[in-house]
Amino acid sequence: MKGIMIELKNVTKYFRVGFFGTKKNAVENLSLSIEEGKVTGFFGPNGAGKSTTIKMIVGLINPSDGGIKINGYDASDYRARLKLGYLPENPSFPRGLKGIEIINYYSKLLDKRINKDEIYDALKLAGIFYAKNIQANKYSKGMTQRLALAVSILGDPEILIFDEPLSGLDPIGRKEFKDIIFKLKERKKTIFFSSHVLADSKELCDSIAVLVNGRLIKNKDVADIEKEAEGYAEKKKDYRLPAEYSTPLEIYLYDLMLKNRKN
Amino acid sequence: MKKILYGTAYSFKEIKNSKIFYSFLIFALILISGSYFVSQTSFINQGRIMVDFSIFAISIFNIFIGIFIGASAVYDDIEKKSIFLTITRPLKRTEYLIGRFLGLAAAIIFSTVIMMLIFYAVLLIMHKFIVPVGYSAGNVKDKFTFYSLPQPLIIQALFIITESIFIASAALLFSLITSKALASIFAILVFFIGNVSGRMNDLIMPVKKIINGKIVIVHQANHILAAIVHFIYTVLPNFSIFNISSEAAYKVNISAGAIFYRIIYGLSYTVLLFVISSLIFAGKDIS
Ligand SMILES: Nc1ncnc2c1ncn2[C@@H]1O[C@H](COP(=O)(O)OP(=O)(O)OP(=O)(O)O)[C@@H](O)[C@H]1O
Ligand SMILES: [Mg+2]
Repeated sequence: MKGIMIELKNVTKYFRVGFFGTKKNAVENLSLSIEEGKVTGFFGPNGAGKSTTIKMIVGLINPSDGGIKINGYDASDYRARLKLGYLPENPSFPRGLKGIEIINYYSKLLDKRINKDEIYDALKLAGIFYAKNIQANKYSKGMTQRLALAVSILGDPEILIFDEPLSGLDPIGRKEFKDIIFKLKERKKTIFFSSHVLADSKELCDSIAVLVNGRLIKNKDVADIEKEAEGYAEKKKDYRLPAEYSTPLEIYLYDLMLKNRKN
Repeated sequence: MKKILYGTAYSFKEIKNSKIFYSFLIFALILISGSYFVSQTSFINQGRIMVDFSIFAISIFNIFIGIFIGASAVYDDIEKKSIFLTITRPLKRTEYLIGRFLGLAAAIIFSTVIMMLIFYAVLLIMHKFIVPVGYSAGNVKDKFTFYSLPQPLIIQALFIITESIFIASAALLFSLITSKALASIFAILVFFIGNVSGRMNDLIMPVKKIINGKIVIVHQANHILAAIVHFIYTVLPNFSIFNISSEAAYKVNISAGAIFYRIIYGLSYTVLLFVISSLIFAGKDIS
């Protein structure tokens, strides 16, 4: 029996923009359950509200309406993050500190003791061990991404939330990162990651959620979506689609996003 | 609790490595050493000039550190998104904020102590303004005199620390509701007005004279102006109580009561401002 790890109920988030502070919805009435031990991919075009949703889950911003529960705790409660690792989009670290000093510090903020070996293991797994004695503000984008990944997997958390984990990584890095996700998947971690790279969907995910314009337009197991996609592809004879997308699943997701985009 | 301590240490390390911190520190050290040359322009009271000059340098640079780092510590963390990984750990936001603030306080204490030590060394070399304390026992040949800074100078250092931490808490609070630049400007304004408000308040007091046994008001400032000044005087903290440079220059000891009262005054304001910051920060969207 699989439990629900993360539950979003009718979550709406608006930001106030402009001089008069007019409300602008970034996420609208979003309900989503993320199951324990599954990899859920969170897809959507730029500005769809993926990062906003993720920030609400990890407690950085508060929903304007609705509620989020992680492991039974409200997302604003620090206990919700006892077993949670988060990789932000475009992570960054304070200036003037070495990689190893940074990860040491983060290891101290966890509720359990992390020994040196565990820190080294995390660094090695993320492929940044070699640069641990370099100041983190001198890292390249991909290196920073790797250090942040190492920080997020410290302490072996049950839930992993990655916001665009593959952006900024070279082809080798992408492959390595996918392997890390596979490893974590084998260990029955609950993984929720966002991406706009549709090709990532099939190989990594058990389940796919598609967000467009702040609204959830699809949330299904990969197998079901694939079936839908094949049916869709058969009906649709027009195959002059961008060479970018080759599989029926990718084409299906692409069309879904295109159709639901605001005009 | 343990997390707060690690946060403090980390914050201190980060501030200590920041360019703005050590440029202030180095600049102050140059001024303190330079106070020797300034004092040479005078024939009398060279020690006093050195003290005035150096204490001014030490206090102004620590206040700058308080204001600029206070306004940027958390603000930059949010701006550069380096806060994302911190407060998404199992950590209360208040714990993060306390750690950050204590780290800044530690940096202020650290810089004041270093500046005072250098100042002390300069005075020792010049053999000015220092007071001998305690003799070791034994015959006259082994006599060893230990020179210390006079009491008001040590107290002045303590006050500089109190005052700089205080203004840092104001800058931190402002930085949570406005931009970094505005927060620094507000903090500077609060500091400036807080320094002169006492004197302003004295100025607008009605001037009374006793003429033929009766108290007669001979001059009365505009009522509205008086009310405004009095309001500012009451609401804004009074920073001038932390400035004891004249006592220091004449080596007048400060009473324990005054020391205690002023430090408690500064600390309670700091705590109050910090609690407000913490309440604002707890509900703040960080993105
Ligand atoms: N702090 C903010 N203030 C105002 N508007 C915001 C803020 N953060 C996000 N938004 C708006 O919310 C919408 C969703 O942004 P979000 O960053 O969640 O998109 P995303 O799906 O992560 O996009 P991307 O794929 O480009 O990362 C955008 O229209 C954005 O302008
Ligand atoms: Mg995003």
